Amino acid sequence: MSHWFDGPLGPYVMLLLIAFLPTEIWRVLSVFFARGLDESSQWVVWVRAVATALLAGVVAKLLLSPSGALASVPLFGRVGAIAIGLAAFFAFRRSILAAILFGESALIFIGWWFH
Amino acid sequence: MTDRAKCPVFFFGRAVGFGLLQNHAGSRILAPLQPHISLDRVLPLSASHNDMDELGGRSRLQWFGTGLRQAAMGPMFLVAFSLISVGGLARDGGSSMGVAVASTLIVWAGPAQIVYFGSLAAHVPLAAIALAITLSSVRFLPMSLALLPVLRGKRTSFGSLLLAAHLVAMTVWAETMRRAPAIPREARMSFYFGFAFVCISATAISTALGYILVGELPAPLAAGLLFLTPVYFVATLVRNSRRPIDYLALIFGLGLTPISSALFGPNFDLLALGLCAGTSAWFIQRQLDHRRIKP
Repeated sequence: MSHWFDGPLGPYVMLLLIAFLPTEIWRVLSVFFARGLDESSQWVVWVRAVATALLAGVVAKLLLSPSGALASVPLFGRVGAIAIGLAAFFAFRRSILAAILFGESALIFIGWWFH
Repeated sequence: MTDRAKCPVFFFGRAVGFGLLQNHAGSRILAPLQPHISLDRVLPLSASHNDMDELGGRSRLQWFGTGLRQAAMGPMFLVAFSLISVGGLARDGGSSMGVAVASTLIVWAGPAQIVYFGSLAAHVPLAAIALAITLSSVRFLPMSLALLPVLRGKRTSFGSLLLAAHLVAMTVWAETMRRAPAIPREARMSFYFGFAFVCISATAISTALGYILVGELPAPLAAGLLFLTPVYFVATLVRNSRRPIDYLALIFGLGLTPISSALFGPNFDLLALGLCAGTSAWFIQRQLDHRRIKP
């Protein structure tokens, strides 16, 4: 099978098979399952809760076991910067921009301090 | 042969025990199998159906433009900057810039791209990479399943739904879920396409930029770029929360991740977490609703 990945188009074939298909399958399935589903049905309410929990899990994994440069910032710095971002979010009347600005400043400062 | 018997998807749906198709869709499941999909039906930009009233007095093209503008005023930069590291990772793994940009356009899932290029660099066996990406991308099923009924209008084609599902990503999903209720139903898909096209285009550019700039950024700034996704998402998920179920799903999801990772390992932890945390939140909300109805 590995000869499929040779030649100039090889890396693209590999991308299609190893990265695109495993992601796209869930998107295509969702189109079939969504047929006839009503926005306010209990199924959709449940599915939305599962989606929110999954996204929260992705975020938690990014914070707890980060890759690359983010790993150079200590754990308390990553979690602390999230807490500061959330505090700014509520202090500035639920502003996402405030959360990003304050959280990012805190993280970059902590990262620079411990670098 | 009945209508249902002709459709393999119906049997698949039953076989995996979802039961969704059987209960809610019935024979409508055949509708997606219509053969002809013209570009005009995939990208419904023209107001050819004399439906300006349903669109709040504007054309589909104008709604597409509204989506473009709203994404360009902020969310576009978030996705683009937060995924700039994908380009650098691809270069470290020995991939060309073309492959890096193509991954953004066709995979369009930051964590999956990071797993892909990171694993290539670490020489992980290809089958293991495919499995890890399959499992880490399960979230697109519930995300898209929650979004499509919000976007779908009366005449939305199968092609539009497929393209919409392909364009689902964390930021696009969260922002559209929040903005859609204020947009007329028939206009939502056009708005969404405008919004998502800007985000995916900007991110394709940032992937190329990251490829060129790899290693040039000082470490704290590079860490700051990687931190954009977590801080933006915690704030957005809190802001999108209206009922207890939303807050509970968020809190359970964040809080139970270490336990789930310890119990189920790096491949299955998110799947188990999503099902447990999401179902618990849903169940508690149901109990609250019942208590309110029966005093």
